Amino acid sequence: MALLEVENLVKHFPVRGGLMNRVIKQVHAVNGVSFSVDKGEIVGIVGESGCGKSTLGKLIVRLLEATAGAVKFDGHDITHSSPSALLPFRRRMQMIFQDPHASLNPRMTVGAAVREVLAFHQIAARGELNTKLDELFTQVGVNTDSKEKYPHEFSGGQKQRVGIARALAVNPEFIIADEPVSALDVSIQAQVLNVLMDLKAEFNLTMLFISHDLKVIDHFCDRMLVMYLGFVVEEMPCQDIHADALHPYTRALLGANPVSDPDKRSELTVLEGEVPSPYNPPQGCPFATRCDLVTDQCRQEMPPLVELDAGHRVACWEVNKTPEPITAAEV
Amino acid sequence: MSKLQRILNSREARKLFRDKIAVVALVLIAGYLLIALLLMCGVLPPKAYADVVGPSNSRGLFLSENAEKRYEIARTAMLGKVKRALQREDVEVALDEVHLGWLRVAEKPPEELKSIVEESLELQRQLKAFERLDDDPDAKALLTAFEQKTNQLVAPLSGADYFMHNAALLLGTDAQGRSILFRALYSIKVAIQIGVVTALVCVLIGALLGSAAGYFGGWVDYVVVWLYTTFSSIPNLVLLVIIAYAFTTSGSDAKDTLLPVYIAFCATFWIGTCRVVRGETLKLKQMEYVQAAKTAGFGSFRVLFRHILPNTSHLMLINFSLLLIGAIKSEVILSYLGLGVKGQPSWGLMIRDAGNNGDVMTGFFWQIGTATAFMFVLVLAFNILSDALQDAFDPKHL
Repeated sequence: MALLEVENLVKHFPVRGGLMNRVIKQVHAVNGVSFSVDKGEIVGIVGESGCGKSTLGKLIVRLLEATAGAVKFDGHDITHSSPSALLPFRRRMQMIFQDPHASLNPRMTVGAAVREVLAFHQIAARGELNTKLDELFTQVGVNTDSKEKYPHEFSGGQKQRVGIARALAVNPEFIIADEPVSALDVSIQAQVLNVLMDLKAEFNLTMLFISHDLKVIDHFCDRMLVMYLGFVVEEMPCQDIHADALHPYTRALLGANPVSDPDKRSELTVLEGEVPSPYNPPQGCPFATRCDLVTDQCRQEMPPLVELDAGHRVACWEVNKTPEPITAAEV
Repeated sequence: MSKLQRILNSREARKLFRDKIAVVALVLIAGYLLIALLLMCGVLPPKAYADVVGPSNSRGLFLSENAEKRYEIARTAMLGKVKRALQREDVEVALDEVHLGWLRVAEKPPEELKSIVEESLELQRQLKAFERLDDDPDAKALLTAFEQKTNQLVAPLSGADYFMHNAALLLGTDAQGRSILFRALYSIKVAIQIGVVTALVCVLIGALLGSAAGYFGGWVDYVVVWLYTTFSSIPNLVLLVIIAYAFTTSGSDAKDTLLPVYIAFCATFWIGTCRVVRGETLKLKQMEYVQAAKTAGFGSFRVLFRHILPNTSHLMLINFSLLLIGAIKSEVILSYLGLGVKGQPSWGLMIRDAGNNGDVMTGFFWQIGTATAFMFVLVLAFNILSDALQDAFDPKHL
């Protein structure tokens, strides 16, 4: 059953300038994204910088207001709920942020930061705050003796664990992790990922995991969405992404990823050119300017997201044409 | 570890204490604050700075007077008062009332006092015969005798009174015979009072308006930005003069208090703080911990007061010290123009008095000199401190 449903979500940022501060152009950050996340599932969102994946995360937790479309959490449309109506959902949906150094208030001890959330949502009675705090810190692997220390006294990995503890303080069902490990060293990345994995099992969490690192997504997620310029270009299960990936952009991402096993190395070429400007995205397929397989049709028309396999959807004219995987039309 | 310890051990504090000049400035400021505090507790009685404590325009204990002036001092100080008191019917009461600062009439029977006065007047008549007192050795000897004779009228001082009398005359007196040192000291209280109140109120207004404008954006931002651009387009001093003048001419009870000065300063000085806090808030509200607070469902006020404002405290501290000097300097200027402090001493008033009487031109520099020196040291110390604070809070400065 779907816990989170996103329907045709659009976010345009107005750019103001010129005389009278009028809107001169729009940044098309997210362009009609639809997907759903089932209970207990970990869905990854992957894409290069500026493809709108973080904006998507912030739209879902309502840190940004959507231009169009809807976000439904457990069947309730929360796209335009008032702050008070949103409060019960805040308890069920939390976010882990990218930069551990910026995600903790430098003027608050780490304990105070988590206690504030506990007290605000009345998770624990006043006398039991510290007990609950110790419990949370133990779960994420932070020394309970250091709860009255300030963030600058911690390492990046420790700060990220505190950030996770703060997100878990309200006992959420759903967590959006916005590149939670990309600011950390590789060895620390693994530790933090393991913490997340353990907590996922322990609390039966549902997660949306945003990353630009295909390896991490492959390791961590059940399903992934590939985003390019605000569009979802491919959606697929993470069983064997090297074999299954069909969209030329996904294949290019895989090709750019170093692989340790020489037998598995792909022969794909590295992408050339730049991402088109999000101010005025190309008319047809967003990837047409950099694609090997580009045809005239690609430049004219936006390809629809077509389901090729169970749970595998691709938006590409050329791939959809390929007869080999059974297309939806043939079924 | 207590909060104070943590502040003293912070990187910023350690950087500040490493700066030797800043430490000296801190000590000086602490001294000034201590004096202001003591004066507020009433250590110095009002009569010390408002009453006549000696002859007018005396040069203080560091400079010697010329013979003409010595004659003038001896003739006017106690002799005249005692003479007038002795002519009254209720001699005892009249003599009891005679005083000059801490000086009182010697406890002698009126007959004895009368004879001393007679002898003094005789000496005075002899002295009048000389045209110039400075050159003649005979005249000098006579003058010394005259001084000694008049001094017999005065009760010898002891203890605290002796100390206060000498302290009052240490840096001389102004044209009305008031102690320059005590007036300059009392001006510290006035200056610090105006500086602290103005700086506190302005930092408060500036921080609240600035953070609200930056955080809420939209129409709140438009209103606040419109307000401070409008205020900052009016020349600062002109606005101060207008507000102070409006109070002076209104004839309200408040015109003799410091209220007009406070209002004039608070109306204009919040702009700088408001601008920097607004900018910092615009930056901070994009920080992930603020977004995390919003995701946790905290209301705007909690986010603003718990997560944004505490992180602008360094700006508030620096602005506080800058505003404090600004207010003190402006107070001196306004008082000099006659629109500031009334009924209390102020460095601005002292400088004005010194200029008005034409004393400066004839070499009576101690009044203007003392006022300027007191102000100079305070302003310099604060300038050094706010400079050091800026360095201490600048993460790029080691």
